[in-house]
Amino acid sequence: MATQTTAPVSYRPAGTLDASTALSPYAGPWSRRQAAHLLRRAGFGGSPADIDRYTAMSARDAVDSLLRFADASALPARPPLQDPPLPPRGLYRGFAQGMAADQMTVDARKAFQMTNNQTRRQNLIAMQQWWIGRMIATPAPLQEKMTLFWHGHFTSSPEKQTTGQELLMQNQLFREYALGNVHDLTLHVSQDPAMLRYLDNNVNVKSHPNENYARELMELFTLGIGNYTEQDIRESARAFTGWTFRRNPDGTGSFLDNRAQHDDGTKTFLGQSGNFAGNDIVDIIFRQPAASKLFARKLLSFFVYMDPEPQLVDQVAALITRNNYELQPVLSTLLRSNLFFSDRAYRALVKSPVEFLVGTHQLFGITEVAPVELATLRSMGQVLFYPPNVKGWDGGAAWLSSQTILTRENFANGVAKNPKMMDSAAWIATAMRSMDPRTVAKTLTDTMLQGDVSPAAIAQLVAYLGGSGQSALPQLSPENVDERVRSAAYLTMAMPAYQLA
Amino acid sequence: MKPLSRSNFLLGAVSGLAVVANTDTIFSQALAQTALPGLPGGSDRVLVVINFQGGNDGLNTVVPYGLPDYYRYRPSLGVPQNDVLRIDDTVGLNPVLAPFKKMYDAGNVAIVQGVGYPDPDHSHFRSTEIWQTAQPKGYESTGWLGRYLDEAALPKTNLFNAVAISNVVPEMLLSRTTDVPAIDALRSYGLASDKSAANKEAFHEFVRDTTVPFRSPFLAQVAEIEDHAQRGAQELPKLVAGYQTQATYPATALGRSLALAAQIVGSKLGTRVLYVAHGSFDTHVTQKQTQERLLTDFANSIAAFYADLAAHGNDKRVLTMTFSEFGRRVPENASRGTDHGEAAPVFLIGGGVKGGMYGTHPDLGRLNMGNLAFTTDFRNVYATVLERWLGRPSTPIVGAGYPMLPSLIA
Repeated sequence: MATQTTAPVSYRPAGTLDASTALSPYAGPWSRRQAAHLLRRAGFGGSPADIDRYTAMSARDAVDSLLRFADASALPARPPLQDPPLPPRGLYRGFAQGMAADQMTVDARKAFQMTNNQTRRQNLIAMQQWWIGRMIATPAPLQEKMTLFWHGHFTSSPEKQTTGQELLMQNQLFREYALGNVHDLTLHVSQDPAMLRYLDNNVNVKSHPNENYARELMELFTLGIGNYTEQDIRESARAFTGWTFRRNPDGTGSFLDNRAQHDDGTKTFLGQSGNFAGNDIVDIIFRQPAASKLFARKLLSFFVYMDPEPQLVDQVAALITRNNYELQPVLSTLLRSNLFFSDRAYRALVKSPVEFLVGTHQLFGITEVAPVELATLRSMGQVLFYPPNVKGWDGGAAWLSSQTILTRENFANGVAKNPKMMDSAAWIATAMRSMDPRTVAKTLTDTMLQGDVSPAAIAQLVAYLGGSGQSALPQLSPENVDERVRSAAYLTMAMPAYQLA
Repeated sequence: MKPLSRSNFLLGAVSGLAVVANTDTIFSQALAQTALPGLPGGSDRVLVVINFQGGNDGLNTVVPYGLPDYYRYRPSLGVPQNDVLRIDDTVGLNPVLAPFKKMYDAGNVAIVQGVGYPDPDHSHFRSTEIWQTAQPKGYESTGWLGRYLDEAALPKTNLFNAVAISNVVPEMLLSRTTDVPAIDALRSYGLASDKSAANKEAFHEFVRDTTVPFRSPFLAQVAEIEDHAQRGAQELPKLVAGYQTQATYPATALGRSLALAAQIVGSKLGTRVLYVAHGSFDTHVTQKQTQERLLTDFANSIAAFYADLAAHGNDKRVLTMTFSEFGRRVPENASRGTDHGEAAPVFLIGGGVKGGMYGTHPDLGRLNMGNLAFTTDFRNVYATVLERWLGRPSTPIVGAGYPMLPSLIA
């Protein structure tokens, strides 16, 4: 296969891992630079005021403050969703038997499907707007960040006619278990209606076992390829037979353990035998060392850097095992570690489209999410509640193409030119009033990039603000200042550092 | 990147056998292993891939009107015998494909029947991914044509080695080494801010600012892609400006996409691969209307495309291949539509194709749960295109064990 001939490109940072001190508490310098790094990773970047607030704390207090999720009950608890339409009685009579329908029935079915699709589409839009709004405004950014992490890990999408209500239930589950116990979360996910539907466990019955969920549970969700056999998949699929859900009229679902469809025979799974059900399979999986390594690798790639060293993966896996898969203490160690604040981890990740968009909103204090931004996210390559496939978003280099970058820049341009922006971003309005190109350039690059820019670029920005080449002394005037400062803000967002988390 | 698992290995072996067993054409391992054909003038060859999104019903595209079972399974959707544009005693084309039938009659279309892969997936997304990555088991992060770009080592300085005429880069063009631009239309491909010259100049300088006070494994790539995006968006309209379209394309998305494709080909940018999407063919309900509209559009657009190419002397250097993530269920459903199915035909058009029918029509008497069992693995078609048209060994790209379809491409 092609996989053997092309060596994977590694995005592991240059330099050497100091394994002996990697997970020890960080005691180095603490400034806006470190605080902003923490907020980008454990949140979405935050506002300049958020960064100031975290800068005023110690590293330890800053991490603690993120780990103790602040009360988010003031945020809208759920998006406004429409109940799925009910098909008129008898509309699908004879459908399953493949009987031909008369033209009137065909037309009625078509009309019903159109209404149904429209409801699903509108619900999806409402959910996306609601969640993005929540990420922007939340006082508990790490909770939303972990919800996004789980969404990309335990993937489900509307593809299998999953309702918005079902996907919302799953989203709430991720939020509830954001830093909870991974073993418990995996069991809940195995009984979650959106997941049961997405990976076909709702059609996994004794007479016709469907292996889809069992396979992905091991391959992508917990163990990784090479840590089980095809036979383990077949046996565990039998253990999950009968795990389905009941559909409620409001579009939500309730887990249903349908004993009549459950295979009560003996299964042999990863060396153990018994009349196992799904929960036994999950228990056995979480006794495998491979599970702790998979979650260690995934957390490191999401929060620290891609392609972490095997030695580092082992250390974090041991930490996970020691804490019995409770994530809160694991993240506590990880986020306050030397590793996390090391130069090797700094700006070592590519912002995902959601991070880019939400972070830009926070930076400029824009809380409203325009519907067009959902299309923007799609062009950037990320659609919430619609991961591209069961393995979720690849992240890193997969976010980068000419098209996605053009979309990012054009979005940034739109935000910078938004007439309301100067009202919501007081920091930029203040800098503008100085009428001094140097002050404006410094404010922009310090606030937006924490100074991660070369002196040459700052000089260029100063020249741009002053109308380069037009006079010896760069000038801003009441006539040009608004337009130039907005353009300079846009240009600052075009700098490479702004694409990096 | 996943290591090759035992199951992958077994599947590869089994699928190779299945192809040999099911196909009457002579597949010769030896042929695939002979030295690559010399490619005089090969450097300007172009492959255009058209994705029939949503699953096109192959049975009503290339109609097996000579097989009585066809009409039994398609009581309301079957194309009447007298309407079929006959190719031989068994199959013919849907009547809306008349302009395309002319191209077939002129020897410029090869039709490979019953193309699919083992253990077919019925999910649009997953099956699309399988066709695009050429990896039916496990997940592959590069596309088959992305791997071609990696292997072919085309000039790094060319921003347009491959172009997706789409608003996203399709998986088939995901490459490790080449940033493929996705261009929906010329007018929407660009930076909004570039209208200001000072802004444009400043942007250009900033994105190349890599002397920053931090190190990132992504820094060089971000800077490079930002630079490509801006330069590409500025240069492309200028580079293609001199081209005069010499055909009347349908006023449809496909017509516009192929017109742009002909323009890019004709402007000699060194582009080797182009991607165009067409759809959606997902005809669960009242199929006839939707499919006929889309096939009419396809026939008119592809005819215009080759007329345009020919007027500029480019028709011989452009091979077009169509694919769809799956065909559709053989028995029609109760809504005068069809559900997700399996094998379907693939068209190869223009370039060096030797026109005619290839492979075997799937047996309507031996359905696989209501679906057509594939008779040719799509990777055999890819291998043929890679070796015969693009001049690259296929094994590193689609894997070993997929011999070429002999004589398909001269």
